[in-house]
Amino acid sequence: MFRFTPYVVKSLWGHRARTALTVSGTAVALLVFCVVAAVQEGLDRLARPSEADRTLVVFQENQFCPTNSRLPEDYARLIAEVPGVRSVVPVQVFTNNCRASLDMVVFHGVPPGQLLAARNLELLSGSFSAFEDRTDAALVGQAVARRRGLEVGESFTVGEVTVSVAGVFASPVAAEENFIYTHLDFLQRAPGRNAVGTVTQLEVELAEHADPDATAAAIDARLRHGPVATATRTKGVFQREAIGDLAELIGFAQWLGYACLGLVFSLVATTTVMAVQDRIKEHAVLQTLGLRPMRVFRLVLAESLVQSMAAGLLGIGLGMLVLGWWGFSIGTEGVAIALEPSLRLAVLGAVVSAAVGLLAGLAPAYQAARTEIVAALRQA
Amino acid sequence: MPLVEIRNLTKQFSKGGETITPLNEVDLTIEPRDFLSLMGPSGSGKSTLLNLLTGIDRPTSGQILVHGTDITRLSRARLADWRAANIGYIFQTHNLIPVLTAYENIELPLLLLPMTAAERRKRIAIALEAVDLTDRADHYPRQLSGGQEQRVGIARAIVANPTIVVADEPTGDLDARTAGHILQLVERLNAELGMTLFVVTHDPQAASVAARRLQLDEGRLVESEAAAPVAALDAGRRRA
Ligand SMILES: Nc1ncnc2c1ncn2[C@@H]1O[C@H](COP(=O)(O)OP(=O)(O)OP(=O)(O)O)[C@@H](O)[C@H]1O
Ligand SMILES: [Mg+2]
Repeated sequence: MFRFTPYVVKSLWGHRARTALTVSGTAVALLVFCVVAAVQEGLDRLARPSEADRTLVVFQENQFCPTNSRLPEDYARLIAEVPGVRSVVPVQVFTNNCRASLDMVVFHGVPPGQLLAARNLELLSGSFSAFEDRTDAALVGQAVARRRGLEVGESFTVGEVTVSVAGVFASPVAAEENFIYTHLDFLQRAPGRNAVGTVTQLEVELAEHADPDATAAAIDARLRHGPVATATRTKGVFQREAIGDLAELIGFAQWLGYACLGLVFSLVATTTVMAVQDRIKEHAVLQTLGLRPMRVFRLVLAESLVQSMAAGLLGIGLGMLVLGWWGFSIGTEGVAIALEPSLRLAVLGAVVSAAVGLLAGLAPAYQAARTEIVAALRQA
Repeated sequence: MPLVEIRNLTKQFSKGGETITPLNEVDLTIEPRDFLSLMGPSGSGKSTLLNLLTGIDRPTSGQILVHGTDITRLSRARLADWRAANIGYIFQTHNLIPVLTAYENIELPLLLLPMTAAERRKRIAIALEAVDLTDRADHYPRQLSGGQEQRVGIARAIVANPTIVVADEPTGDLDARTAGHILQLVERLNAELGMTLFVVTHDPQAASVAARRLQLDEGRLVESEAAAPVAALDAGRRRA
């Protein structure tokens, strides 16, 4: 079965310039495919039913950008009285950019005493007591920390807000790692914010058997006569609606991913066709020596597969590295889609490159196997 | 039982409405250890006969019985297996695989047979020794001279110890001196290793080396009595 492996490898190596060009071009295409798939995966993660569907977000009606939502802070007290509500966390959100952005910075101001209960954060450096002790302290998600090169003890300014980094955290929810947590009152008092007594949103944790939609409706009804009307949704729905147009854009970007696969196919197929046409006589000689047509077919297929798998290894590996290292995110309206490497992505990439490699090799392999031995040998 | 029995073998080609018949009801019997040469004008069908005998081409009609099996009835895959076990093919141009070393080229036919790696190494060593290229085993074809390449081609043809070794103008591309060496080598395959040989050639000198000399003309095969093979061997040496 594998006795002819050296022949396959040496055939590719024999044309290493051509092979290298094909592999590198294919690797780039697979890298792009990988990034596009990561964006899609990040979006799917937002939409996936999870604890995000056991949390409600109370926002000002008809608003999505955090800058435009202002709710009285004492709504928290009113909401806590609604049946089905376990706890309420007031959150002040400040972002440098409400539009779609690749380097969105989002501050979440939360009462320090409530932060640990509301969020599942794992401190990688710094300490939580340091965060509690200083009003301008911030816990920074590791994706932001990496992107901006932030370390504990440094201070960091966005717009008119300056915070001092008290810790860097990781979270099982990848999007969280793009956020920066501060004290609620600090963010309310921050220069130019003028938000004392108001919050951007209220996060409601549901009681065990409470129905999310019914509770949301009850909250909106309870606040109907307050100074500001609210719209309450599950966190999942809220994020999806906030992402809105961006999701459509991402759906479109998927076609870019498919186009990359088309590119991989044509690159590998072109090279394999060339390799076969170069060696019509060689394949005839092999058959004269006693290789079955099916064996020649498999050898050509193997060449095609080895190239696409090598490119896959390179492209996907590079993609994982890039995604893991830079902690990219795409964000809009204060909601972040985290791009992160995952086993699923790696496996998808490997399977896709193998499948495309095999597909690209089929026609040339068939051509090589069908070689008319005598006619091919008669060629000069 | 004869090794090969060719009966009523006919091969026709039609080119642009015109039919040519290079082989017209040809009969031939080959016994084990026979050494045959085949001569004839260009285009007379020598290569065609060789290709039919080795099963890389199919006749229009007739039978080719090898060890009693009619190879004209085998499928492509079965024919390939049959060739791997029974045929050694020496080409006019060596047709070595350029990306493989001499050693790896010679190894190719063995990879198709059930054989341990140790057995393969032993056989390749013997074949390299037979063509006197032991010290060139790791060279690539482009690093070898024409004569050396042809010797590698011969080693590849004999390494699996085939039933029949065929050669289609094995010296056609070589200068007289090198051709002489190759011819001596081919003779030794028959005289010393006892291989059954079928050699197509244009060179009367080369043909005279064979014990049985065949002539192909107008689709007919004629056999003439051979001169003593020993004398021919001497002739080959003198040329070299
Ligand atoms: N595939 C083919 N299609 C049509 N005609 C063919 C084909 N193969 C061979 N022929 C014809 O059959 C005849 C015999 O060809 P063949 O190659 O056997 O001759 P040959 O005796 O080996 O000649 P040479 O000494 O030049 O090698 C020639 O006339 C050739 O043109
Ligand atoms: Mg010929």
